[in-house]
Amino acid sequence: MAQAFTKTMARNIFYGGTAFFFLLFLALTFDSMGQLPNRDNRAALEGEFGPKIAMGKILWEENDCIGCHTLLGEGAYFAPELGNVYTRFGNSTDAIKGFIQSRPADGIPGRRSMPQFNFSAEELDALAEFLKYVSEINTAGWPPNTQG
Amino acid sequence: MQEQVIDTSDVLHDRHPPGDLAIWIFILAELSVFAVFFAAYAFTRMNNVELFNEFQQHLDRQSALLNTLTLITSSYFVVRAVAAIKENNHKLCVNWLLAAISMGFLFVVIKSAEYAHHFGEGINLSTNTFYMFYLSLTFFHFMHVIMGMVILGAVAIKAKNGGYSDIEHTGVETGASYWHMVDLVWLILFPLVYVMR
Amino acid sequence: MTYKSQSVAKLYFIAAIALFAAQILFGLILGLQYVMGDFLFPHIPFNAARMVHTNALIVWLLMAFMGAAYYLVPEESETELFSPLLAILMFWIFLVAAGLTVAGYLLVPYSTLAELTGNDLLPTMGREFLEQPTITKLGIVVVALAFLFNIGMTILKGRKTVINLVLLLGLTGLAVFFLFAFYNPTNVVLDKYFWWWVVHLWVEGVWELILGSILAFVLIKVTGVDREVIEKWLYIIIAMTLITGIIGTGHHYFWIGTPEYWQWWGSIFSAMEPIPFFMMTVFAFNMVNKRRREHPNRAATLWALGTAVMAFLGAGVWGFLHTLSPVNYYTHGSQITAAHGHMAFYGAYVMINLTIISYAMPLLRGRNAANSNKSQIWEMWSFWLMTIAMVFITLFLTGAGILQVYLQRVAENPQPFMVVQDQIALFYWLREIAGLMFFGGLVVYIASFFVGQDEPEATVAQS
Repeated sequence: MAQAFTKTMARNIFYGGTAFFFLLFLALTFDSMGQLPNRDNRAALEGEFGPKIAMGKILWEENDCIGCHTLLGEGAYFAPELGNVYTRFGNSTDAIKGFIQSRPADGIPGRRSMPQFNFSAEELDALAEFLKYVSEINTAGWPPNTQG
Repeated sequence: MQEQVIDTSDVLHDRHPPGDLAIWIFILAELSVFAVFFAAYAFTRMNNVELFNEFQQHLDRQSALLNTLTLITSSYFVVRAVAAIKENNHKLCVNWLLAAISMGFLFVVIKSAEYAHHFGEGINLSTNTFYMFYLSLTFFHFMHVIMGMVILGAVAIKAKNGGYSDIEHTGVETGASYWHMVDLVWLILFPLVYVMR
Repeated sequence: MTYKSQSVAKLYFIAAIALFAAQILFGLILGLQYVMGDFLFPHIPFNAARMVHTNALIVWLLMAFMGAAYYLVPEESETELFSPLLAILMFWIFLVAAGLTVAGYLLVPYSTLAELTGNDLLPTMGREFLEQPTITKLGIVVVALAFLFNIGMTILKGRKTVINLVLLLGLTGLAVFFLFAFYNPTNVVLDKYFWWWVVHLWVEGVWELILGSILAFVLIKVTGVDREVIEKWLYIIIAMTLITGIIGTGHHYFWIGTPEYWQWWGSIFSAMEPIPFFMMTVFAFNMVNKRRREHPNRAATLWALGTAVMAFLGAGVWGFLHTLSPVNYYTHGSQITAAHGHMAFYGAYVMINLTIISYAMPLLRGRNAANSNKSQIWEMWSFWLMTIAMVFITLFLTGAGILQVYLQRVAENPQPFMVVQDQIALFYWLREIAGLMFFGGLVVYIASFFVGQDEPEATVAQS
């Protein structure tokens, strides 16, 4: 009988294995989707600040904050983690707004600088609410401390 | 140039291990993964003994015992199937394979009933660490049973069409080896998760 | 070059190298900004330079994949490309769209770009690696579909080899998973969950199929080893890739708000992701050792072996170092991530593309089999310069990362991010120097296309 390790066998393992694990991944995804409402703070999105948070996310994206910062550890590593900036700033949306507002347009000489975006009061509100919403997502205890 | 003498001893006698070499590498890989899961289970249990003992009581041991018998029986049927094709009886081989697949189907039904019961009580992967392991381990195995049934089914179809003989039946042994692996994994899983305290 | 239509690959390869150069230039800018924080601020803030750096990388890798496909598919299928005209048209559309996008990144504030391009109609901008305006993304989909159509029709009318089919499967997967870039919900957890269906399932999924098939193609050509053997190994490698990598996606689901069982599933499966890369290394060296011919293109052989090794180190080893959730808890989103990312991308995807270019360009430029000795020597020098430079970049970033993780996350009195960045500045300076060495290697690489062009091709001594 053939003892050889045939190409056909390898091909079958590839297709079988891929199908198997893709199905398993879909099953786990389905379960995860079911669990998200307990973890993802969607109550904030469905609450009175929902529209503000949504606007905040759009601003976050349209100013490419992720290009310097991380959010829940994902993004660029030039500037601090912002998923927990709300808690780091003492649970204060005012502190967040104040910081963004106070960035000098020409930067700080010799130091990594954040642009001055000239946000309106409404936009600053939205961004701060967005960051507050993110800080309340259940991230299994990450980051290890307030420094992010 | 030297003359090649064709050695027919391989052809007529059993070589170990039976089946395609690929499947043995694959089986080794599979067993390693399950071994890692079992080790993770054992390690976690060490740190959560009370939790694990408590919720283990909620498992349906009767169903699990039935499933164990089901799989052992199906493995026996698979052995008979290999024996049949070694005597060039592909029709008998097909019948034994179908019997094995039926046992597999019975396993799937019993296990599904268990899952339906758990999910009906609102238990899922996130309920607690014990259930996370229990559901993960058994579901991963469950999917392997289904995969095994698919493989045996493919082998049965080819056998029915006369694709195997007493001389060439590597595919039957390959499928059989995979099925035995699935059975073996359950024989470890059952005592580890359902019984041992 | 066996088929005339393979020549369209040349356009793609040239554009790819040009964009590679742009990528590195901006990499140098970024490296300098890490230590001279306001360098080019506010005209080119860090995030603008970064999106040019990462997007140039992705576009040039895609261009090179397309060039590779246009080169190898006709040869594998033993028939001319279905429509060279379509390939050329798509090339210019892709290149112009990329150029306009990069111009947009640099010339106007990002929020202005968003406004100008109608992002509010279907907001897809502002996510890492997916910074392109929605209209650019739609353009990418069109180009990708046309490309798949062209390649698919070519394979359909010709020989369907395993290499062809695996390549096509990988490229199709690339296109399908890119569609998730259009899903951008307000729910941050959902956003992140499916963002990874683009990124992880690309680079730790279908892109590995593309890598494997290109490597297999080049190995068949330079070693002469039997196709059956090489294609069998290709299947095994990609089987292990997807068997480990699909559930391995879970190593991105540890801390983003998804259920905690992913810490187990993701750790166990992603820990096994180095296996296919290890197999690729063994496979590549084995094939070369068992070769049945001496191929005059030593540079291409060097690139092929180098790809396997560096991919294993960068993607496999460095990936493994921070893939287990107890470790990742401390290293998530740190310079460890950057270290792994750089060597993984270079080792796997930059190098496989440089491999196919190394193999195909001489043929596309009229040589019989390889460049002159002089060209190859320059090219092989560039291999060593770039590869060793990348090793140092990675080592320095790893050092930075270990210190950063300790000071910011492990120590009893954790220090703020910016304070820690100041303390690891030395590593960043060293990284920049290594980056300059990399750039030097790139210059030598580009020069290798021009030196020794009048000299006769390299040959191998007949024994």
